[in-house]
Amino acid sequence: MAINVTQAMAATLAGATARVEVSVTPRFQPGDRVRMRNLNPPSHTRLPRYIKGKVGVIERDHGVFVYPDTHAAGQGEKPQHVYVVRFTGKELWGPQGGANDELLVDVWDDYMDPAS
Amino acid sequence: MNGVHDLGGMHGFGSIVVEKDEPVFHHEWERRVFGMFLPVFATGAFNIDEFRHAIERMGPDYLQTSYYEHWLAAFETLLEEKGMISAGEFSARRARIAGENA
Repeated sequence: MAINVTQAMAATLAGATARVEVSVTPRFQPGDRVRMRNLNPPSHTRLPRYIKGKVGVIERDHGVFVYPDTHAAGQGEKPQHVYVVRFTGKELWGPQGGANDELLVDVWDDYMDPAS
Repeated sequence: MNGVHDLGGMHGFGSIVVEKDEPVFHHEWERRVFGMFLPVFATGAFNIDEFRHAIERMGPDYLQTSYYEHWLAAFETLLEEKGMISAGEFSARRARIAGENA
């Protein structure tokens, strides 16, 4: 596709979004405890290494977005919910974690399971 | 991938430098690389997640290079992989620029 200067300026200033306007039933609700999956694909993922296997709490639901893992591999958008997950510093960093520290991470649905 | 792109929680990189009155670009070439993004992206040859994956596939070079060098490396990787520019065309162009600057 060809774009002209006006379109290029508009796109540069406005940015782009990976949000997808499709309806997907969320698996989790705010307040749910969730454990991150221990995934180690050699391909692309946006699951940060330091939250793998860790337990957090769903803070809120951002809505439905393209799933980077399949999208980067030419395997489609696989739209799914992205949630804000709250982790404590102690959960992520153990004894070196600050007692009052918390980290909020945007996490795709496919990166987690319910935690008991 | 468990790659060099995922730096969260790693030690030994020193403190984050916060510049007072930080310019949008530190060098003219950075402005040009930024400007390349949209026209290259608009070809539809790759998507944003392939772009990020191309950056993380830089390996150790990632740590020694700057933000817009990462972008440039991703353009070169993807344009060659997608068959839009050949490795020969890259090397010929580099040689020509080196000659012009000699």
